[in-house]
Amino acid sequence: MFKKIGFTNKWSVISFFLIILILMPSVFILIGFFNPISDTWLHIRRYLLKDYIYNSVILVFFTGLFSIIIGVSLAWFVNAYDFKYSNFFKWGLILPLAVPPYIGSYTYVGLLNYTGVIQTFLRNNFELVLNQSYFNIMSLSGAIFIYTIFLYPYVFLITHAFLQKQSASLVEVSKTLGKSPISIFFRIILPISRGAYVAGTTLVVLEVLNDYGVVKYFGISTFSTSIFQTWFSLGDINSAIRLSVYLMAFVIIVLFLEKLSRGGKQYSYSNTKIKPLKAKKLTGWKNWSMFIYAFTVLSLGFIIPVLQLIYWSIISYGKILNMNIIQTVLNSIGVSLVGSFIILVAAVIIANTVRIKKNILTKNYARIAVLGYSIPGAVIAVGVMIFFLKMDNFIQLISGQNNMLLLSSSIFMLIFAYLIRFLAIGYNSVESGFNKIGTDFHEASRTLGNGITKTFFKVDLPMMKPALMSGFLLVSIEILKELPLTLILRPFNFNTLATRAFEYANDEMIHESAILSLILIFISVILVYSLTYIKKKGR
Amino acid sequence: MRFLNKGSILLIVILVFSFTTLIMGAEEEVNLYTNRHYDTDKLLLDKFEEKTNIKVNVLKGGSDELIEKIDREGEDTSADLLITADAGRLHRAKNKGLLQQVENDTLFNNVPENLRDTENYWFGLTVRGRVIVYSKDRVDPSELSTYGDLTDDKWENRILVRSSSNIYNQSLLASFIEIHGEEWATEWAAGVVDNMARKPQGNDRAQATAIASGVGDIAIMNTYYLGKMLNSSNPEEVKVAKQLEIFFPSQETTGTHINVSGIGLTKHTKNKENAIKLMEYLSSVEAQEMFAKANYEYPVNPNVEPSNLLSSWGEFKPQSINLSKLGEYNKKAYMIFNRVGWK
Repeated sequence: MFKKIGFTNKWSVISFFLIILILMPSVFILIGFFNPISDTWLHIRRYLLKDYIYNSVILVFFTGLFSIIIGVSLAWFVNAYDFKYSNFFKWGLILPLAVPPYIGSYTYVGLLNYTGVIQTFLRNNFELVLNQSYFNIMSLSGAIFIYTIFLYPYVFLITHAFLQKQSASLVEVSKTLGKSPISIFFRIILPISRGAYVAGTTLVVLEVLNDYGVVKYFGISTFSTSIFQTWFSLGDINSAIRLSVYLMAFVIIVLFLEKLSRGGKQYSYSNTKIKPLKAKKLTGWKNWSMFIYAFTVLSLGFIIPVLQLIYWSIISYGKILNMNIIQTVLNSIGVSLVGSFIILVAAVIIANTVRIKKNILTKNYARIAVLGYSIPGAVIAVGVMIFFLKMDNFIQLISGQNNMLLLSSSIFMLIFAYLIRFLAIGYNSVESGFNKIGTDFHEASRTLGNGITKTFFKVDLPMMKPALMSGFLLVSIEILKELPLTLILRPFNFNTLATRAFEYANDEMIHESAILSLILIFISVILVYSLTYIKKKGR
Repeated sequence: MRFLNKGSILLIVILVFSFTTLIMGAEEEVNLYTNRHYDTDKLLLDKFEEKTNIKVNVLKGGSDELIEKIDREGEDTSADLLITADAGRLHRAKNKGLLQQVENDTLFNNVPENLRDTENYWFGLTVRGRVIVYSKDRVDPSELSTYGDLTDDKWENRILVRSSSNIYNQSLLASFIEIHGEEWATEWAAGVVDNMARKPQGNDRAQATAIASGVGDIAIMNTYYLGKMLNSSNPEEVKVAKQLEIFFPSQETTGTHINVSGIGLTKHTKNKENAIKLMEYLSSVEAQEMFAKANYEYPVNPNVEPSNLLSSWGEFKPQSINLSKLGEYNKKAYMIFNRVGWK
């Protein structure tokens, strides 16, 4: 009987239980969907739903589009051409990922508004007061700008990693056939890297759909703000769940389109010697224009916001009492490293099972694994909370000790919520790693009589290190920046850089939040850099 | 991979350590769920710890999330006290059956009747007004009178106010539902929407800045934001604040809308005595000054003078309704906003 559902080895058994564990909170939430429709829901449908859908679709579409344009073009340029500082840009262009979009939005508003540096400078030096609408970033297009400039690195990162490995021989062949660079880009690079940039864009889209900070600050109603509002302002958790289900349907469509566009195409190589593309040296105006393009993107997404934050930190330094920074930093690093480690382990177990055991059950594992990414943080938080409280009740029953919340008052609840929320990111990296190495070596090892576990550690794992590391990095950065879950599920006296920066910013003390934001960004930058360093060394 | 192993082992050790310190806990303690994040609050709690030897554990978060959490934790909740920055939220906690009555003479003396729950489920700790802030250059204060006057045609294209998703706007409208009825409140909201200088965006500070930059002439905002701007570390923001003046609306009629941040004792508290001690302390003369000053708010304790800045704005007549009503009409208010298209 167990064989029937695929319990043929340790991997599939562990995967099965992991998947059940991950599903539990969603089950508790979805039960709410079957409650009867309330007046509130009719009110939402009549007055609000149209706006939510319109705004969400516009944000997703344009952010996705611009992220592809910027991410893919830059990934190609740094791979194919040798221009001023192009080696630096290979990892430098990932840096905007270190800035949480909500901090980015506060920073840009502070920079551009009437009391900001730019207008102040014009006003005090040239007595120039311009029309305020030129500086108004708090609009739908402003939000698209913020999301694109801080999220495009997802596309860049994955496409860059792909091109580095996969493009050389194809490009060289095309060159010998006399194809122009433009034709190579559109006829070769775009098609072969489609899987990579679609995967990256999917991450961008999911981030946008889930983001709460930016749209709330800008006053744009989207699904994620509406879920919070329905739940909190209207006190109607069932309608909030109904909206979440709409959002999840939206996400499932996005994920389905992704799978569809990948089609059956898989570009994996049978030889392990992966030859990097030889970059063409650029001179003259070409050299400069490429440098200016990359530098402008980097400035908008990283240099300018960071300079602004440094300035604010300097002017507000004396105002921050009782910072206790070291503890906060340790908390942040602690949860993000432990969290990402656990997530990567879970992702590897599930992805490996899916790869080896192809049946109806495992096919759905992949979908369930990425499901959490589509559920808004607050909804996951409630689901996880209910789940942990149920487990605590169970523990109380067994131990006979009343009035004790062992699990739900601990850090494990938070880490478990991270697992649900960010497994998708870890899983995507691991899956693409598995796809890249293909199954030939795995099968060879199995034919030689090695078990799945031995084959995994001896054969698969060493080849997958870069994919695992980039997954680890991405998840760490995500957890470092994560807000709603951390706010709701953390134990007593537990603050992270993100929660403290947000608390200040939320109280409209953006200057005071600057120093915490800066430290957060600094740690993320170290993570980004250590990844590229390890990658280089490994090669 | 070596990098990863070393790092994560170290961090697992850190985590296990922090976990054990968490479950060990001190002998005498009180657990506080709060959505105030001011550094001075921490100093105040430290003082309380020093005086009483009772350790205060703090969990910060949004008030709605904290209420939800207490609700879900049920009888086992670790929360003893809840502090939120809006009376409506405390009312919601009361309605959900999360709080309990406190009959305590010290608190009765320290907190005036209209600033606490009618049945003493919660007590206000600090007071703020939601007022009109106007441009000194472009608005003559004699033009201003009541909240109702804001729907007059003379304010067309001149009013700045943040989005209706904000709790302060919801509470403001809820107070009008209580005083003037739902119909009046709906007309008022629709009239303000007609007179808005732009679609609602940004926070209260952003409205003030928009006056200075000429987008609009008057803004509806909370008193303490002007205090914060006058003390900002950005000199430009101070300049902006100096171009503005506070007007307390409806002085001849129903009074200016006020709201509190307040505290309630949870129904399933395990440290009732300690919790009440902390409530008493926070409302005491000694604590009130600092607690209110942290956020440029008015103290509730009548024996404590407001700060110099607040005194300079003059005394004002507040709305006389009981603040529980803000919570009662919250949902109605929110729905009115949606109906009239207040984004």
